[in-house]
Amino acid sequence: MDVLNELMMGFAEAMTWQNLLFAFVGCLLGTVIGVLPGIGPVAGIALLIPLTLNLDPAGSIIMLCAIFYGTTYGGTITSVLLNTPGEAASAITAIDGYQMTKVGRAGVALTIAAVGSFIGGTIATVGLVLAAKPLGSLGLLIGPPEFFALVVVGISLLVALAGRSMVRALISGALGLLISMIGIDPVMGAPRFTFGMDRLLDGVSFVAVIVGIFGLSEILSYRPGKNQTVTQTPGLRALLPTRTDWKRSTPAFARGTGIGFAMGLIPGMTGSVSSLLSYGAEKKFSKYRNELGRGAIEGVAGPETANNAHANGALIPLFTLGIPASPTIAVLMGAFLQQGLTPGPTLFAEHSTLAWTIIASLFIGNVLLLVLNVPLVGLWTSILKVPYPILAGLILMFMVVGAYTINFSVFDVFVMIIFGLVGLGLRRLDIPLAPMVLTLVLGPLMERSLRESLDISHGSFSIFFDRPITMVLLLIALVIVCSPLLKLRKPAALVAEDPES
Amino acid sequence: MKRIITAVAVGALTLAAAGCSASGASTSNAGADFPKNGKSVELLVSFSPGGPVDTAARLIQPVLEKELGTNVEVVNKPGAGGQIGYTSLANAKPDGYTIGAVGSPSIVVIPMDEARGAAFKREDLQPLARQVVDPMVIAVQADSKYKNLKDLLEDSKAKPGSINATTTGQMGGEHFAIAQINEATGAELSPVHFSEGASQASTAFLGKHVDVLVGNISEVIDLQKQGKAKVLGVMDKERAEVLPDVPTFSEEGYDVVAATARGYAAPAGLPEDVAKKLEAALQAAIEDESVVSKMDNLGLTTSYQDSAEYGKFWTKQEADYKKVLPLVQAK
Repeated sequence: MDVLNELMMGFAEAMTWQNLLFAFVGCLLGTVIGVLPGIGPVAGIALLIPLTLNLDPAGSIIMLCAIFYGTTYGGTITSVLLNTPGEAASAITAIDGYQMTKVGRAGVALTIAAVGSFIGGTIATVGLVLAAKPLGSLGLLIGPPEFFALVVVGISLLVALAGRSMVRALISGALGLLISMIGIDPVMGAPRFTFGMDRLLDGVSFVAVIVGIFGLSEILSYRPGKNQTVTQTPGLRALLPTRTDWKRSTPAFARGTGIGFAMGLIPGMTGSVSSLLSYGAEKKFSKYRNELGRGAIEGVAGPETANNAHANGALIPLFTLGIPASPTIAVLMGAFLQQGLTPGPTLFAEHSTLAWTIIASLFIGNVLLLVLNVPLVGLWTSILKVPYPILAGLILMFMVVGAYTINFSVFDVFVMIIFGLVGLGLRRLDIPLAPMVLTLVLGPLMERSLRESLDISHGSFSIFFDRPITMVLLLIALVIVCSPLLKLRKPAALVAEDPES
Repeated sequence: MKRIITAVAVGALTLAAAGCSASGASTSNAGADFPKNGKSVELLVSFSPGGPVDTAARLIQPVLEKELGTNVEVVNKPGAGGQIGYTSLANAKPDGYTIGAVGSPSIVVIPMDEARGAAFKREDLQPLARQVVDPMVIAVQADSKYKNLKDLLEDSKAKPGSINATTTGQMGGEHFAIAQINEATGAELSPVHFSEGASQASTAFLGKHVDVLVGNISEVIDLQKQGKAKVLGVMDKERAEVLPDVPTFSEEGYDVVAATARGYAAPAGLPEDVAKKLEAALQAAIEDESVVSKMDNLGLTTSYQDSAEYGKFWTKQEADYKKVLPLVQAK
């Protein structure tokens, strides 16, 4: 029971009022950063590192960790209320979250998201305590070929996201792939679809694109009279989830935790992949999958649990191997190094107390996040009481500032506006947006891992067939792709009223 | 509720203002009075927050502010391996209010490679100071059968193209290093490009998906300390302070020198007074004791050079890389 003892010692350290304060301030700052579109966790942490440099190591790392998972919750708030994802990992939540807002259930969505975040984060941290060592090296088994196969499984979920029309879903998916190809080819360095513009060499910013596609196009498609019931202000009672909500959310919490935690272990996966896969899983396995897209609670519960489980799970490779599994973690690792701490197995040997203090603070932080956010749900939702024309103006300002702050460049604002128009067109043509987000996120990962694999095998595709993990994953993808043909899914009666339109 | 929105709006505007304020430079006769009271200097970082270039810039920033007596704002303009930031640095007004953190080889290679269509030339930038030299090293798995550099390179000669080595992307520093090794030794290491960067490369190496890790000392040192990698050789003329037991390539009889150097530059054509002031301030900041010791913690050995020497260093690198350029260009 060494682990438990050490953890208790960690709790004792983490419960000092200074450290609690740091965790609290971190959660608060993180939530605010998450709310601002554009400033995602990476930029947020990097910008705030100087603030923490003069604190003692424990305090500064506790605060940065709190900021880190605070952002994953904060991003949800604007996704749900304003249909403007605050950061990439919450993009998919906008689909059902905003539909819930439209029928006055914003409070329910936010509460469930907070609880889901708490559950996902806490279970992932328990995983970190119990099984960090073996799980950490498990992530290393995933080399480029396995990574590729995993991404193929993700892309195959496009089948699940397709609603009434597979063709429309494929159009949307292909468009996403096309957009994700803009910029310098990651391997050969050749510019693609850049039309000679320097600015496009780096591709278009994912956040700018999704803010445009989801948020701006929503505002552009507003016509007075036509949809004046855009938002209903929830009463106090409507803030709280009903028993049915809880019951329906529970399986989604479980699936989200599993997916997020597993993805978090894999170096190179981002939180947005977790939330997308979780949404796909709900689409495929939830009892209420035919309601997804029309404001089903599962569409919020799953992804939001997954991205927090991912955020905490991703700390495992950092703590056990010293590997930053995602860009955000890389920034966090930079903060460790600046404090003279080297993450990795030596951290536990050389700074044992500190390591356990940080882990204990992760538990505390997750509780704080819940305590902080559930009471605030009422406050956040009251934003919706603002008359729509004013609210729309504020949202627009928010989106422009958000797009600008991605790289402090006006270029991203134009990207957002252009994709707002694209989104408007897609809505008119009845093309679903979810498949596009899926391929937009997964496309570059797929390309990268495919080419890395082929580099390793010197160009031979056999590398995908003589590795057991890769084989199994590819077979799973095949089964998912074929499932509609096998009519394993919805009976014909349901297909007719499928909501994805 | 109104207050929240006001607060959010104010916050957002402040952010926007912070982003804009530095670009408002408009005076033309910056000279003796540089830096003007209240006018801040923008320190452009062409890489994402958290990377080695950014970290170094943020470490010197407070000292630089003290030396110059004005605000110094670190602004990240990442993308396209530095090209986007470098382009805007080269196009900025040469008045001293915009300077940039730069890394090489990227700064010399980007304008050299026609396929990238860079809108600036190396001559459009004027070097100010070098801060760090981070030599390349080559490492294998801790339990590898290769005991020394010769073993590895001889085996690679015997089985050309079958031993994989990591890079952080086509035409990145590691790719050039591999090309230099292959050219100088007759070995044939086969590059695997991890375009996401060093952490992806070392992850694949740790998972034993790639045999050989090529990277900067600062990135490999921890793996060596944890006993997860065995560094076989340093691509430098002298042994590295942090790896005293590892021989250099030249000790083993191979003429390979490759390193990533990081420093500071400005758009070409600074008034002489301004350049002098900036150079002096940068020297003070780079050699500041607490900065040096923080850099040491990161495995980065401070190696200051003034503008003239740094300029020569660039020219030398340019010549070295021109030689191997055809070897790393996409076929």
